[in-house]
Amino acid sequence: MAVANKNNYGYISPQDFNLYCLQAQMDIFEDYFYQYNNWINRENARSSGQGYADIVKGLEEVIDTFSTTAYLAQPNANLNNNYNLPADYYLINKLFYYPTLKVSGTTTLTNANQLIDSTQLFTSTVAVGDLITNTTDNTSAYITAIVSDTVLTISADIMAVGETYSIYNQYNITEVERVNQNKIFYLTSSKLTYPTTQYPAYVLGGASSNVAAGPNSFVGNTITVYPSTITQGGAIQAQYIRYPLPPQWTYLNTSGNDPIFNPADPLYQNFELPASDEPNLVAKILQYIGVEIREGEVYQFGATEENLDTQETS
Amino acid sequence: MTYINQYQYYANSGNAPEDENWGSYQYVSLQDIVNNFMLMYQGNHELINNVNRFQILFYAKRGIQELNYDAMKEIKILQLDVGANLRFILPYDYVNWVRISQFRNGVLYPLTENIQTNWSSAYLQDNNSNILFDQDGNALSPQDSQVDLSRGKAGIYLNSNSVFHNQPGVCLDGCWYFEYAIGARFGLNTETANINPTFKIDKKAGVINFSSLGDYSSIVLEYVSDGMEGGDDSKISVNKLFEDYIYAFIKYSILNNRLGAQEYIVNRARKDKASLLRNAKIRLSNIHPGRLLMNLRGQNKLIK
Repeated sequence: MAVANKNNYGYISPQDFNLYCLQAQMDIFEDYFYQYNNWINRENARSSGQGYADIVKGLEEVIDTFSTTAYLAQPNANLNNNYNLPADYYLINKLFYYPTLKVSGTTTLTNANQLIDSTQLFTSTVAVGDLITNTTDNTSAYITAIVSDTVLTISADIMAVGETYSIYNQYNITEVERVNQNKIFYLTSSKLTYPTTQYPAYVLGGASSNVAAGPNSFVGNTITVYPSTITQGGAIQAQYIRYPLPPQWTYLNTSGNDPIFNPADPLYQNFELPASDEPNLVAKILQYIGVEIREGEVYQFGATEENLDTQETS
Repeated sequence: MTYINQYQYYANSGNAPEDENWGSYQYVSLQDIVNNFMLMYQGNHELINNVNRFQILFYAKRGIQELNYDAMKEIKILQLDVGANLRFILPYDYVNWVRISQFRNGVLYPLTENIQTNWSSAYLQDNNSNILFDQDGNALSPQDSQVDLSRGKAGIYLNSNSVFHNQPGVCLDGCWYFEYAIGARFGLNTETANINPTFKIDKKAGVINFSSLGDYSSIVLEYVSDGMEGGDDSKISVNKLFEDYIYAFIKYSILNNRLGAQEYIVNRARKDKASLLRNAKIRLSNIHPGRLLMNLRGQNKLIK
C-alpha cells in the first residue's frame, strides 16, 4: 500500500486489495507444487543437497502446513458406497478406511470433551485410542479415557446431545487407492486385484454425481468406494491439502477519512503463507495494483522484484 | 504391526482355533510385502515411481503363484473316497498334481498315470455312422462315450496261478471275462500291467479318471495350488526365504513393462531376480551336513 501510494494519490479500495491478496496468495500456493516437482527432479540429478541445502524439505514443510484430515460424509441417507469430498480440498493425498466398527449410537447428554451414551457398555467394547466420528456433523476425535460404561473422555469437544456417532478400531487401517475411471471396471473384474476391504479403491465421481444442491453444493466432488460393501458412515477419512483461506484486510470506517486497519474484526484473516514469501507476495500484489491504477512503474517494480526472487530461488 | 508374542503363537490368545498361528513365523504376509515394497522400493528417489498399489499387488500375487507351482514345495494333500463312476473331482484350488495314491489297508500305493486316454466325448450316430443333429444344428451327444463306459473294466489279468495270467480281459462286478486269448505278446504295456489301478486326468472336465479301484476307493491326491487361498488376501503368504525374491520379481516386472526404462536397468533387475530365486531354492532344499553325512556313509558299499 505504501508503494502504491507513491504519488499520494491515495490507496486502492480494501475490496480490491483483498481480491489482489487472494490472487497473489493462490498464485504462490500453486507454485509450491510445481517447485516441489522441479526440485525433486533436480535432487535426482544431484543438483540439490541435504541439510540446509534441502530445498525439497522446506517446500514439504510449507505444503504440509495446509495438510488436514476429515471424515467423509455420505451424500444420501441410504448409506451406499458414495462419499463426499471436503469442500476446501486442493489435492487429495490419501484416503483411509477404518474397517472395524466397534460401536455406534446417539449421545444422551452433553458434557465438554466427553461422549455420554446411557445405553452403552464402553468398558468392554472400546479402547483408549479408538476413533470417534460424529456422523451428524462429520467431526472426529480420539478416546483418551474410559470413565465408565456410559462415559468416554475424548480428545476434542465434538459431541452434543442427540448427535450420532461411530467408534472405530484404531488398528488395521488401510489406504483406499485412487483409480482412474477408465481402469476401475478392469480392476473390479480382475481376480487378482479386485478391491477388497484390505485393498480398497475409489474413483472420483463426475458431474453426474448426485450431491446435495444449494449454495454449498459440491457437485462432482464425490467418490465411489470399492468394494461396494464399504458403506459405513464415517469409515472413510481423507488426508488432503486444503486451499489457503482467503486473506481479509478488515478495517474501520471513519467518516471522511481513509479506512483504518482493524485486526480485531472477526472476519480478519491473515495470509497463510510463510513469512519468507512476503517479498514475493508484495511483488505480485503490486503488479495487480499497478495495472489498476495505471502506474507502469508500480507494475514494473513488482515484476522486477518477482523476477529477481525467481532467479535467486531456482 | 508388531511380532506376535508366544501366548498368541501357541494358544492364539485363548481364541479358537488354537493352532491359528502355529508355524506362522516361517511366512511373510502379502500385506507386508505390498507395504514394504511401497515403502522401500518406490518413490521419488527410487527406480520405480508413480506406480499404483494394485500393480504391486498384482505382481506380488503373480510372483507368489509362480513360487507355488514349483520352487516353494508347498504340497497340499486331499483324501477323498471315489464312487462307482471312478472319478475323483479335482480340488477347487488344484493347479497340478504331484502324486496320486490309493490308500489301502493303511498303506499308500502310488498309482501310475496311463498315457492312453480313458475318457472321450462322443456324438450319436445312425447305422451308417452319420452324425445325428438336433433342430439347431448341434450334434447330439450321449451322456457317456463307449470309452467312458468301458473304462476301468478292460485290463490285464494278473494271477500266476491262472490260465488267464497276463491275458487282456474285462472285469465286471469283480468277475473277469475273457473273449479270446491273444498269442504270445512281445512287449507288455507296463503302464497297465500293474496290480494297482491307473489314472488319467481330464483337465477340462476337472476329474481324475481311474481304470478300476476294486473295493478300495480311497484316493489320496498330492497337488500344488497357486497360494491364493481362495481369494482371501489376508491369508496369502510366502516363505521368508523367498521374501527378497518377491521384491525383486515385482521390481523386475514393473521395470520390464515401463516405457523408457534403460535396458541395463532392466537387465540388472532380471539378474537380481534370477539369482535370488536360486539362493532361495538352495536354502529351501535344506542341504546341510547331517543329511550329506547319511548319504556319504554308504559311499564304500559295493553296488551289486
